[in-house]
Amino acid sequence: MDFSLSNEQRSWQMLARKFADDEIRPISLERDAIPTARETWTWDIIKKGSKLGFRTMAVPKKYGGQETDFVTQALVMTELAKADSAISKAFSQNWKWSHLISAACSDDQKERFLKPFVADDTFVLGKGITEPGAGSDNRMPPTDDPKPGLRLKAERHGDEWILNGEKAFIANAPVGKLFFVDARTDPTVPLKQGITMFLVPSDTPGFRIGKVFNKSGWRFYQNGEMIFENARVPHANVVGEVNGAVRKTGADGGDTTGGDLFGDLELSANALGICDDACESALRYGKTARQGGQTLFAQQLVQLKINRMYMMTEALRSFVLRVAWEHDRKIRSCNAGLAMNYSSDVVQEVTELYMDIRGADSGHMDPHTDKLVRDSFIWSHLAGDSVSRMKVTRRITN
Amino acid sequence: MYNLHLSTEQLEVRDTIRDFVTREIKPVVLKAQRLEICDRRLPMQLMDQASQMGLRTLALSEDRGGAGADHLTCCIVAEELATGDADVAAALSTTSWLGHLLFDHVMNDAQRERFLLKFVNDGDFHLAFANHETQTDTRLGVNYHRPAPPDVALETVAAKAASGEWIINGVKDYVANAPIAALFTVTVKIPGQPVPKVLLVPADAPGLIVRVHEKPWSHGCCGEVTFKDCRAPADNLLGDDAAALLACFLGNAMPLFQALNVGIGRAAYEAALDFAHLRVQGGRPLIEHQAIGTKLAEIAIRLEVARASVWRAAWASDHPEAIADGSLPDLPLQAVAQIFTSEMMVKATKDAAEIFGAMGVMRDMPLQKYIHDARVCQHNGNGNSDAKLRLAEVIAGFRRSAHLPMALAGE
Repeated sequence: MDFSLSNEQRSWQMLARKFADDEIRPISLERDAIPTARETWTWDIIKKGSKLGFRTMAVPKKYGGQETDFVTQALVMTELAKADSAISKAFSQNWKWSHLISAACSDDQKERFLKPFVADDTFVLGKGITEPGAGSDNRMPPTDDPKPGLRLKAERHGDEWILNGEKAFIANAPVGKLFFVDARTDPTVPLKQGITMFLVPSDTPGFRIGKVFNKSGWRFYQNGEMIFENARVPHANVVGEVNGAVRKTGADGGDTTGGDLFGDLELSANALGICDDACESALRYGKTARQGGQTLFAQQLVQLKINRMYMMTEALRSFVLRVAWEHDRKIRSCNAGLAMNYSSDVVQEVTELYMDIRGADSGHMDPHTDKLVRDSFIWSHLAGDSVSRMKVTRRITN
Repeated sequence: MYNLHLSTEQLEVRDTIRDFVTREIKPVVLKAQRLEICDRRLPMQLMDQASQMGLRTLALSEDRGGAGADHLTCCIVAEELATGDADVAAALSTTSWLGHLLFDHVMNDAQRERFLLKFVNDGDFHLAFANHETQTDTRLGVNYHRPAPPDVALETVAAKAASGEWIINGVKDYVANAPIAALFTVTVKIPGQPVPKVLLVPADAPGLIVRVHEKPWSHGCCGEVTFKDCRAPADNLLGDDAAALLACFLGNAMPLFQALNVGIGRAAYEAALDFAHLRVQGGRPLIEHQAIGTKLAEIAIRLEVARASVWRAAWASDHPEAIADGSLPDLPLQAVAQIFTSEMMVKATKDAAEIFGAMGVMRDMPLQKYIHDARVCQHNGNGNSDAKLRLAEVIAGFRRSAHLPMALAGE
């Protein structure tokens, strides 16, 4: 077994570390503290990162991207997340959907969308699935009932599709220029057989963004409502086949495209960055803060907490890199999903241990520690909830 | 006999407050803008209403004009209030219990004469215990099972002027209720005296300045109190045992804040239970799915066991004879309740929020607030790790002399 990184992987990691140290960490707490959800985003950091390749690194070289491998992507996400988990996610969300474009879109669509995406430092991608009445039902749809699941309706009129309905909690919605959107094209059959995926540019007539959700963690990362009122999308923007969206997204556990495959790795690699931050911060604090004339590190309780933090973090690192390595070799397994579920447990325990070591100092909590704990709780509904765990379990048997 | 069959009065009080929470508190505090942790002001209108219901003077003895509630009843009230708002519960509990200690135990007749009527009659007369100083480290830490280090002297000093008045100088930090208090009890060092003393200082005393802490990790409201040549009358000095008695204020005898902690968990549980009945996914209400049903069951278990530990500690304080005759263990039951409850309520609020999916992290929804509130309880004072060290010392049979400031660490 060879755990060494290639020179190219190593240089991406170093580039990411420097960008994280020089540009992300200095703005992290200040963006987190902005009370208005709509205002936490800044294009400045996106543009700077984009110029270094952090927006487009999953795009094939043929279309002007960097075509990095999964191991590199995992390393970079971790480094960026170590400085700010939400900003790391704001970059990697684009990789997720550029993987999907590569895997699922036609040559014509790649030409029309990947090229402008690569050319524009402020071109950001998103995908709308969740709706106010349908979250878990989209992720694990009942197979015998057409009613549950997303209701956004798409009807064909000649060369156009007319979309009506709304999406909620959609990542990058308030800032994105292009979205994948899942819509019902056959309401009479169960969800899996009746949805179609569309490419919807943000300037589509009849399409607009509603509220920006005000989250307790991942403040920088924008989630918004998408509202479709007779939105008109050309038939040429249908991804794959009509009524065939599920086959493309692998929602039935198939892992047939890069987008879904990447998403699980993404959350675990990002969590690893938070854990690295928490571990190093805990060690630094333990070695400098004093109590009773000694450093905190002198105490058995503190040593035991730091031990557990590092132990879980290093176990997660092994898991994350193994999954990335398997992806690069196209080894299909449920490991990505398991790593994601595991990362949810690890990131919360590790950050909570760090908070224990810091303590509330009579009534004051260190804002950075508080942020790590709030960011980590995001995993509860993305990566560690029972639906996501059961979904992964089904993959074990596939 | 160990008996947790609530009396008619206790049941009435509980139901009255439950009703008050539903009708009055929730409609105010669940508004989106107040769920923002950064903009959480104490709702003074509700505080007034609660005061009129007698909750501000709940623990004060009946013959002095209060309700004379015992430990258990006070805990029941704190839990109920906290299902509505942890801050309201904390501010009222602080005033009520301090009022009981001061007027029923610590003050002399002359002092009571001067302050009791105002306390009973004035609806916004709140109390605060100004003890904590920034430089005073009350953590046990490396001193676990070791002789106590030399005491760090309080830096707040009271000197006697020629007129007999006390001249106070110093700064107290993170003082609960400071922004709303009409009367402060202040621990001070008096030059030449080895043990700290306690002075009564009205909020309007010249030279007393309160600065409100905007985003504290505590419940209620708190602030920094600066004394700058602040004057207090000569007979505002409390008796010699006052410091030790007040140190027990949030110390080892009264699980008020643990009851409040249970209330926070219950608020999250009730919200999640309602939602699990209403929300349909997978063709049936959430609660009809094993994964969600058992998650709620686990929350219910944590709540029941936590409340049992709180009530047991409260009941023990109401019945010291039950410890004396060995019916209950001679352990700091309040610390047991604190550690268990605070850990369980963080888990409970997180699980409840998870049931809400993405809505569980939204700031215009209460779930993220409940998690924050539960975390505050977990890190209250010196936090659970320190509380465990203190419990370990008791179990080990290590007797620590109860002098200040180590004795104040329970706060």
